[in-house]
Amino acid sequence: MGVCSMNGLLVKLAITVAAGSLLCSSPIRAQIPPPAKRAEHVEILKGPALEIAHDDLAILRWTTTNPGGDDDHFAVAHYGTDPKDLNETAKSHIRLNRSHADTIFRVLMQGLKPDTTYYYKVTSMGAGGHSDGVESSVNHFTTPAPGQVTSAHPPAE
Amino acid sequence: MRRDTWTLVRAAFATVLGVLSVPLAGSTGVHAQTPPPYNPYPSGILPANLDSEIARVRNEVQTVFGRYFAEWQALTPTPTYMGNPPILVPNGYDAQRILGGLLNFDENISPFRNEACAFCHMPYAAFSGPIPSVNLTMVAYPGSYHYRAAKRTAQRYTYSHTFPVLNYDKTQGLFFGGNFWDGRATGMKLQAPDAEQAQGPPVDPGEMNLPDTACIAWRLSQASYRSLFELVWGTDFDINWPSNTEQICSTPQGAFPTTTPVALSAVDRTKATNIFDHWGESLSFLERSPDVSPFNSKFDWYLSNPSQYPLTATEMAGYKLFNGKGNCNSCHLDGRSTTLTPGETDTGNTADVQPLFTCHGFANEGLPLNPRIALFYESRPDAFGFTFNPDGLRYRDLGLGNFLRSGPQSFPDPNQPDWLSLAPSVDGQMQVMTARDVALTPPQCPTTEAGTGKPYFQKEFFHNGYIKSLKQLVHFYNTRDSVPNPNGNTTYSYQVTSGHCPAGTVERVTCWPQPEVKNNIDMTTGALGLTDTQENQIVAFLETLTDGYNPANPTVSTYKNIDTFTGQCSTTTPGETASNQGNAYLIPTWNLAQFPCATDICGVPPLPTKPIP
Repeated sequence: MGVCSMNGLLVKLAITVAAGSLLCSSPIRAQIPPPAKRAEHVEILKGPALEIAHDDLAILRWTTTNPGGDDDHFAVAHYGTDPKDLNETAKSHIRLNRSHADTIFRVLMQGLKPDTTYYYKVTSMGAGGHSDGVESSVNHFTTPAPGQVTSAHPPAE
Repeated sequence: MRRDTWTLVRAAFATVLGVLSVPLAGSTGVHAQTPPPYNPYPSGILPANLDSEIARVRNEVQTVFGRYFAEWQALTPTPTYMGNPPILVPNGYDAQRILGGLLNFDENISPFRNEACAFCHMPYAAFSGPIPSVNLTMVAYPGSYHYRAAKRTAQRYTYSHTFPVLNYDKTQGLFFGGNFWDGRATGMKLQAPDAEQAQGPPVDPGEMNLPDTACIAWRLSQASYRSLFELVWGTDFDINWPSNTEQICSTPQGAFPTTTPVALSAVDRTKATNIFDHWGESLSFLERSPDVSPFNSKFDWYLSNPSQYPLTATEMAGYKLFNGKGNCNSCHLDGRSTTLTPGETDTGNTADVQPLFTCHGFANEGLPLNPRIALFYESRPDAFGFTFNPDGLRYRDLGLGNFLRSGPQSFPDPNQPDWLSLAPSVDGQMQVMTARDVALTPPQCPTTEAGTGKPYFQKEFFHNGYIKSLKQLVHFYNTRDSVPNPNGNTTYSYQVTSGHCPAGTVERVTCWPQPEVKNNIDMTTGALGLTDTQENQIVAFLETLTDGYNPANPTVSTYKNIDTFTGQCSTTTPGETASNQGNAYLIPTWNLAQFPCATDICGVPPLPTKPIP
């Protein structure tokens, strides 16, 4: 098997071959597919929960049905120290896998303070700006003391 | 880049070379007098065997050049043009491919006629870095002017031609395409990013280092294969070269205040540029040919007939993890089925018979700063008064974001009205390379991994060479952020820099230093929940993506010129495993706070969304 790859540029170069040994039929340009169809309804299946927290950062984790749409998604957390005023936002890149029925979302929150309780709710959106239309209830976690690490019990999965 | 005044430079130039003019040189003849080596590095940055390894690779390069030359001499019948439009037949493909090979392995495309493109990109390493000790230490390869070097690993050529012209897809909110880790070879002019990538190193101060792109035409005009170049391109080498052309082209870049020190008329400059463009296009053809990108890995054979060419149980387990829990194929697209509905089992066939194992996009995986990179230390002038990296230890690699800002050590951004504003959203992002051939090694060093009982070939992975084995690569993706534990997730992530992991931890095993760029981290990876066995299974699957597989004789690679490695394989030392491979070469990173990110990188609007340490 010795397939090779061709390029439309070769046509412009006006080079060809009569013998068949190097003939190939595969496209060489990247096939970047259009976005997948967006799911009509997205549901949170697990979480959100605290995956891990250091004294100055935390990672939240949850699983939804695959929302479809843009392959590049954002995991979003709205958070704050007042459950009625979630005035901070964290967004993290998540790459959807079109062959997966579920999507694990993880959001990284940085610049936190130690020994502080943060209230949050999570959602997700496509990189093009479309919301997936699902949002969690308000949850909370507490960052550990300086130099410590903590996570949810049982662990977020 | 800081320069002395032109008067001082000319004085320095004359002093260093000792002559004011150099006779015209033949293609392999007169060699310019080389200046004293440039060595600003602290002890241990350069590998002890660098000179002997440079000599080894140069011999190998010359061997391959000779093979392509022999191919050309044996090419029969001689191709001729027929038809309208004129087309080179009957073996025009071979002519173009052989020309690309000759260009790729021609050492004369450098000031001191000592460095071909292939010096950093040898076939037995899938056209990536061929010196194990460099892969363990300075990361970037020394250029024509020893020992000036750049900042990143030498990417594999394989399948680089599949990247489209760099574009921003507004629907997806993503950049796709381009070549180089930061996408700066956009493909805008030649419509082929890999052709434009080939044009970078010849005039890169850390690589082949010619001072003027016209020097490529000058050196090609003297080449032993000039007639083949003219046959393919019909190029007019009838250029009125100034008498000091060889003198200029024998001087490294940086010694001149302009990028066009060869004084050509506008007409001749155009001719020289056209030759330079054709040169890049020929190299692009080589890269897309079966000499480089043959699509004949074990996995390709499996795709063609899974029952006749099965994967082993371990490889198949790794393949399923690659698509499943490992989630690798979300970025390293393998042409699998599309979205399932909940509860549905994936029974689909691979949709693409030549999956490219990349999405052709960019991502910031949160690699730590690698203090071994040569560029950091090149902050003092060389013998020509040129300072390659004035930012010194303040350099930070913002990747695509730096390119969009036309930052240092990159190219100018040719689409600033549309792209500049996007820079903060892509800071830290690097190209998602194809996973194909990540494990390709010389036959006598059949693995990249220490601790397997076999001799291994030391490679370097990711843009900054921080990762030293495929086991570490998968482990990094798996555990960068957190590790499942029945009593609550634990972490290997520490707010330290490389070389400062806490006592009781092992860097790259149970300690991951902080990211060099904390912005725009891809959170798809970092906590995959894979076991140690599952990591090993994914490594086994990655090894099936190695080209040159022959099911009739699986132990003998058919990859062209894979037999040209004449160096020594690495052998596992006591206590060494693929997990801690390379740890003996860790060095402590300097205090970042004492050398914060340079203002010409991190202070250029639009600013990064968060400060870069």
